[in-house]
Amino acid sequence: MPVLEGAIIYANLIVLLSLGLTMTYITTAVPNFAQGSFAVFGSYVSLTLLRLHGLNPIYYLIGEPSGKEDFFKYIMTSIPISFVLGGVLGVLIYVLVLKPLIAKGAEVVMLMIATLAVDLILLGCLGAYAGYLGSITKKGAVKFIFTPYDINIGPTQGIFIVSILVILILLFSLFLLLYKTKFGVAMRASMENPSLAVIMGVNVEYTRIFSWFLSGGLAAVAGCLLPFRQEIVPATGSIIIVSIFAASIVGGLGTIYGALFGGYIIGISESYITYQLSTVFGPGILVYGKVISLVILVITLILAPKGLTGVRWRKIWRRSTSS
Amino acid sequence: MILTQKLNAGYKDVHVLFDINATIEPNKITAVVGPNGSGKSTFLKAIFGLASVYSGNVIFKDNDITNVPSHERTKLGIAYLPQVDNVFTNLTVNENLKIAGYTLDKKEFEVRKGIALRAFPELKDFLGRKSGTLSGGERQFLAIATALIRKAEVLMLDEPTAQLSPKFAEIIFDKIVELRDDFNLTIILVEQNITRALEISEKAYLLVSGRVAFEGKSDELRDHERFEKLCMGLV
Repeated sequence: MPVLEGAIIYANLIVLLSLGLTMTYITTAVPNFAQGSFAVFGSYVSLTLLRLHGLNPIYYLIGEPSGKEDFFKYIMTSIPISFVLGGVLGVLIYVLVLKPLIAKGAEVVMLMIATLAVDLILLGCLGAYAGYLGSITKKGAVKFIFTPYDINIGPTQGIFIVSILVILILLFSLFLLLYKTKFGVAMRASMENPSLAVIMGVNVEYTRIFSWFLSGGLAAVAGCLLPFRQEIVPATGSIIIVSIFAASIVGGLGTIYGALFGGYIIGISESYITYQLSTVFGPGILVYGKVISLVILVITLILAPKGLTGVRWRKIWRRSTSS
Repeated sequence: MILTQKLNAGYKDVHVLFDINATIEPNKITAVVGPNGSGKSTFLKAIFGLASVYSGNVIFKDNDITNVPSHERTKLGIAYLPQVDNVFTNLTVNENLKIAGYTLDKKEFEVRKGIALRAFPELKDFLGRKSGTLSGGERQFLAIATALIRKAEVLMLDEPTAQLSPKFAEIIFDKIVELRDDFNLTIILVEQNITRALEISEKAYLLVSGRVAFEGKSDELRDHERFEKLCMGLV
């Protein structure tokens, strides 16, 4: 897989993950450390469907070359199923764990620790499930990768096209939801000023639950495509969470656009810069890719503590053009 | 229209209002005045369900609404305009109006939006602008317009002229009178400009340290021989 293509695929997935993280942070003030495991949950949903029903997420969007798959296999494949199940997982975590803590006035640190606990529970559950799935299918499920299932489309690989299509469709849908529907405007209103939204008659709790549904759903879709790029194990979530947080914070945790900018900056830098460094210092450096994300994170926090979307770019532009 | 019976309210452990008995009469302006920290804003918040009610009741049109969630009170016809942060600054003027009609169907919303824009024609020029870019007075217009869209029967205004220039403040006072007369609104007005609030209102409550120090006609309070001392909480 060409390096830049791989970097863009990874960035697309990080954008999906950081969008969800930022959304739930804005609506419920929860820094969700289990976001990475939400993605791995999506990976295992995808693996289950693939092993038990032979469904490949790539084929759903661009079709199997042989064209032998029947209609239902196209429709009922892992991307929509992962989205819905991931959404349900997000809602369950919020309603069963976080909402009771928020109602008791838990501070952000306590909520953060609660999500770390959730992450460990999910890790255990996914590990146990991987063992179970492996035993019933007689194929290893603790470690897996989907690259053998990828297909070539002209000079490029299917996952590259699919990841771009998925992000375009999801971002466009999200835009339509947030800007063109009454509930979406209510969500944005609740994100900015929940007290005023209540005054306007909005049931803010619904918007919070829905943001957890979206967050879980987007993460699971990312997790569904992630095995086409890297090997998945139950603990993959605790590795990619570094990139997800870096993306959200670099972009700015206060706005969902921040996740978009941060996601691409972190996703592309992490893959591409690490690769370029490996050509100079040798392949041993590849395992330290997360350091790139953390360095960008630290530099951003020093220069722009509110992230890139918190910088008054117009003011800087005016100053630079007037001087 | 609204009654509070022995209302004790505050924020968690901070008890602010003590045994407030108040009667808000329909289609009139009731001014709630008093020195800083007397509990004026908490009184509005308690009626709207945003402050904790420890004991007592809030009655709206003969129904006890003490335990009704705030967003449901909006549907009942009570609109509350906070002193600050009363519009969504990241949303456009049009989106602010849209969210104000959240509980209405599309047809009804269009009718109410027309009414609100007739009352505040100035807003027609700003529909696509982010409300964060409006001046203080224009934001206040928008905030009151959102209350009109909400099909409010009762409009509770918390210091609507705070931080406005005297010119804009005067326009807002005129608008409040217009709203009462043109839309038959029941208005509860919490205001620092006591003299103007008493001029435009029919009834007044003076709160001092969370208790009712005066209840009666606005001109009675204005003409009270110890008016200034009363307002400073010295009597």
